[in-house]
Amino acid sequence: MTRPPEIKRGSVWRGEIPLQSYYTTGPSGQIFFQALKRHGKLIGTRCTPCAQVYVPARSFCERCFAKLTEEVEVKRTGRLASYTICYVDRDRAPLPRPLALALVRLEGATTLMLHYLIGVHDPVKIRIGCQVEIIIKPRNKRVGSILDIEGFRII
Amino acid sequence: MKAMPISLGGTPLEAQDMERGKIFSNLYVPQLRYAWDTGEAIGRYLQELKQGQLIARRCHKCARTMIPPRMFCERCFRPTDEWVYVKDTGKIITFSLSYVSWDVRRLKQPQIPAVIEIDGASPGMGILHVVKNVPPKQVKVGMPVRAVWKPAAQRTGSITDIAYWEPSTKTKKRK
Repeated sequence: MTRPPEIKRGSVWRGEIPLQSYYTTGPSGQIFFQALKRHGKLIGTRCTPCAQVYVPARSFCERCFAKLTEEVEVKRTGRLASYTICYVDRDRAPLPRPLALALVRLEGATTLMLHYLIGVHDPVKIRIGCQVEIIIKPRNKRVGSILDIEGFRII
Repeated sequence: MKAMPISLGGTPLEAQDMERGKIFSNLYVPQLRYAWDTGEAIGRYLQELKQGQLIARRCHKCARTMIPPRMFCERCFRPTDEWVYVKDTGKIITFSLSYVSWDVRRLKQPQIPAVIEIDGASPGMGILHVVKNVPPKQVKVGMPVRAVWKPAAQRTGSITDIAYWEPSTKTKKRK
């Protein structure tokens, strides 16, 4: 048997690209997060012709492209539309505790909102369509971020 | 005809609007790390830089000495033949006086990026680097320069192991 030719170990140049960016929430995001931060309220925008209520608030209807100006407050309760249990983080490293993510249609909204599903002890017991409530941090902990919401909890 | 001012939509913002929390935003700092395979030729080139030497690659068919080295002659379409050391002196074959830094800051004293044709390599064979220790107005195409190396302990196998290039003949300093 002949030995395979020796492969020369190549050298590698390592570097890092310095980059940072501010992602602003935009005018309608400003309305949503201001209401969340100050009053713990959830604000959407309505498109009457399309019979849609977008939550979080959006500037334009994604169906008819109309500018949306009518603000609507939606309830803190809703129904679970979908969920997933995560065992690894986004870098594929195992999570110390599994994490549940939920898509929820809040009462009064027509769109789905993504956030954590908290207080899950037994994933097998989660049912699509079950009622959930949104848990918002106390006012002094709110900064105007989506993490001012702790997540959804099954009622 | 007078041009009409263009009015664009949007919300004018300044950095402090974000920093003071007037505008809600997320600061996102992705960690963009990369590992680039240097290949055989550049790998050796970088190793030699760490030793304080410049190395080139020769093609026997067209008799060119190429730096930075490459394992394939793009003129003859055949592998290059041998390694040859070249000098750490050369001459400027093109340069620029740059009054902005790489991250677009204004500079009072210009940086002088230049292509240095290396002594011992074929005509036009050179490396892009930076020239210092010369009044900007005195920089000329054809000016002889020499490499100023970092101390051996600080060299890492990088093109910046050469700190900069400076004129090898004395230039008159203006008062």
